[in-house]
Amino acid sequence: MENYKIILFLCNWGAHTAYQALQDQGYRVPPEISTVRIPCTGRISKALLFKAFEMGADGVALVGCKPGTCRYGVGTNSAINFTDDTREILAFLGLDKDRLQLVTFLPDEVDGLRNFLEMFCDEIRSFGKSSLMPTHKDLIKDDQAGTFAEILAAHNAYGCQDCGKCTSSCPLALTGKQFSPRAIAGAVIAGDMNSKEIVEDIWSCLTCGICYARCPSGVNFPDFICDIRALVKSKDDGDSHQAHGGFFQSLMRSMTSPEMKTDRWSRLPKDVKLDDKSKILFFGGCAPYFDTFFRNHLGVRTTDVLVDSLRLMNFFDVAPAVLKNERCCGHDLLWSGDRENFLKLARLNIAMIAEMGIEEVVTACPECYRTLAMDYQRFGVDVGFKVTHIYEFLEQEIDKGAVTFNPPEKAMTFQDSCRMNSFDALKDLPRKLINRISPNQFEEMKDHKDVSMCCGSSAWTGCDAYSKAMQVNRLRQARETGSNLMVTSCPKCQIHLQCAMEDPFQGNDLKMEVMDLTSVIRQTICWE
Amino acid sequence: MTNTNEKNRQEIIVTGFGGQGIILAGRILGQAAALGDSKESTLVQSYGPESRGGACAAQVIISEDIIQYPYIKTPDLLVCMSQSAYDKYIDELKPDGILLTDQDLVKPAEDRDCFSIPATRMAEELGRKMMANIIMIGFTTAVAGVISVDAAKEAVTSSVPRGTEKMNLQAFTKGYEYGLSKLKGRAKKASGQTGVMA
Repeated sequence: MENYKIILFLCNWGAHTAYQALQDQGYRVPPEISTVRIPCTGRISKALLFKAFEMGADGVALVGCKPGTCRYGVGTNSAINFTDDTREILAFLGLDKDRLQLVTFLPDEVDGLRNFLEMFCDEIRSFGKSSLMPTHKDLIKDDQAGTFAEILAAHNAYGCQDCGKCTSSCPLALTGKQFSPRAIAGAVIAGDMNSKEIVEDIWSCLTCGICYARCPSGVNFPDFICDIRALVKSKDDGDSHQAHGGFFQSLMRSMTSPEMKTDRWSRLPKDVKLDDKSKILFFGGCAPYFDTFFRNHLGVRTTDVLVDSLRLMNFFDVAPAVLKNERCCGHDLLWSGDRENFLKLARLNIAMIAEMGIEEVVTACPECYRTLAMDYQRFGVDVGFKVTHIYEFLEQEIDKGAVTFNPPEKAMTFQDSCRMNSFDALKDLPRKLINRISPNQFEEMKDHKDVSMCCGSSAWTGCDAYSKAMQVNRLRQARETGSNLMVTSCPKCQIHLQCAMEDPFQGNDLKMEVMDLTSVIRQTICWE
Repeated sequence: MTNTNEKNRQEIIVTGFGGQGIILAGRILGQAAALGDSKESTLVQSYGPESRGGACAAQVIISEDIIQYPYIKTPDLLVCMSQSAYDKYIDELKPDGILLTDQDLVKPAEDRDCFSIPATRMAEELGRKMMANIIMIGFTTAVAGVISVDAAKEAVTSSVPRGTEKMNLQAFTKGYEYGLSKLKGRAKKASGQTGVMA
């Protein structure tokens, strides 16, 4: 028999009592089951549930107390939401939802528990082994990550003139955080691995690149941080700075399993036209995972960006192909220091795209764009196709003429994307497109373009109270323009800024409609 | 006067202000038809006060058969690049003839169906206002289909000053794509699709 691994998270109260009673009766628990005794099912977050699968579990059962009998009141309710969301995400990854189940028992429901255990084991055996390969922490070899000295030399960080322009322009420092790019460079030069700068601050950096634009020595600080993170990660793990319990990093790592068959496109609306034989590929990105993860909290709808992009391509008579088994592009792994798994994802994606004979890849996500167009190549993965951002495609098509826009009813303002602003070819496009829609209904925020303020967090790393303060400041700027629609170009900006709007202490002061530019165009464009 | 029995005969009047390159545009159309598409073509350009800055016109006939008489009374295709030229020639256009205009320079009667392109504005964006005529040729090629694209490109390249070929071809392509897009937009609208499906 194959070696199945089934994890049982057992609540300390009702469920564990039933489990003990079962053992007292002399019941032999199936050998594939390992139990973890927990204080309350409501504390097993999505990150922990998913982590079990990432580490090689074939099935996970969260066994708790019947609703209403929870020792802490709301534990079971939280568990229901966590389990539902994680089940949806498993489905996107091509795993059967029922590999994860939430069941509840009263202390005396011994037979019920026994029946469940038997049934669950049978069910998992019928699904077969999970296609997720446990990702071992293969630490990057030291020679690959380089040394402090090599990284410093590669980015010319020894050229630091100690002028402090980086710190005085850094959005984090301006928000009040004790954070200084210059001090980080200094600490790396001093080589002290245990300094606060290296242990903590490198994970707070937003990698937005404003300091790079200001630096008189031209030190590419975001890339420098990216390398330093990889080096630190190769020695120690640095995972404690990840946001959302490391769920997204875990999700991305799990996608490096070669056997995995993702199922992320099957829920597209029927009217979207795709063509398997097209030489143009639409690369979606992680939006479906984000929307599922945040659905009970923010009502985030970033998948709309993908659907609207596809519809706009259809509008201009392009029916693209999609990558059936698309993985994450790896952006957030690269920027949280996990270079090895980033490269695995890169190679998997590129091999699949090459097999389809694709000549051009269109994407609507600035992070996917940067990663595909620049970072794959930078880390030695050859890309044999042209990468186009959907805005480039739209600008080119709209410029041919004969299309016009129904002016939107809203007054707009625009949140810049840091990844898009790092490309000269892209940075002016969103405003060009907005001007085509309606120049009179657009107002800039105080900080915009090259000195735009970040949405507060990057690569699911280092989110803290200062991130929140920055988001609140940004939303205030947006409200000051008198606009009632914030146009974004990155799904992360949308998620992070909407998160800050939920603040109960601010009431409705920060509330504002947020919509991606692609969706704005989709709603307003028409033939002349 | 003209023999309308001649097969596949297209009579074109290109008109605008003197200095817009109207005559050159007419010449390129005729040249493309004659040299590129191996058809017959004639060109008559208006002399006189027009060439001093007033309304200016080129009369082009493109035909599969020999053309007996080069003057045009009622064109099939009217390309207007100024309001005064439009006013002067519009009544002569055949009822089912095609009207092409520069969107910013000509305001046609409201009930008049026409294909318009901001050719002069586009030329300015490309860096040279004087290329408006080449954009118009591209637009005409796409919309009216009287000459083939390859022939038109060849004629443009051989007619413009040396060193500006690439720029002019870019202008031609711009006008041509605008024309194609216009036709596509009309087809989509006719089929009932105006915006992106929700």
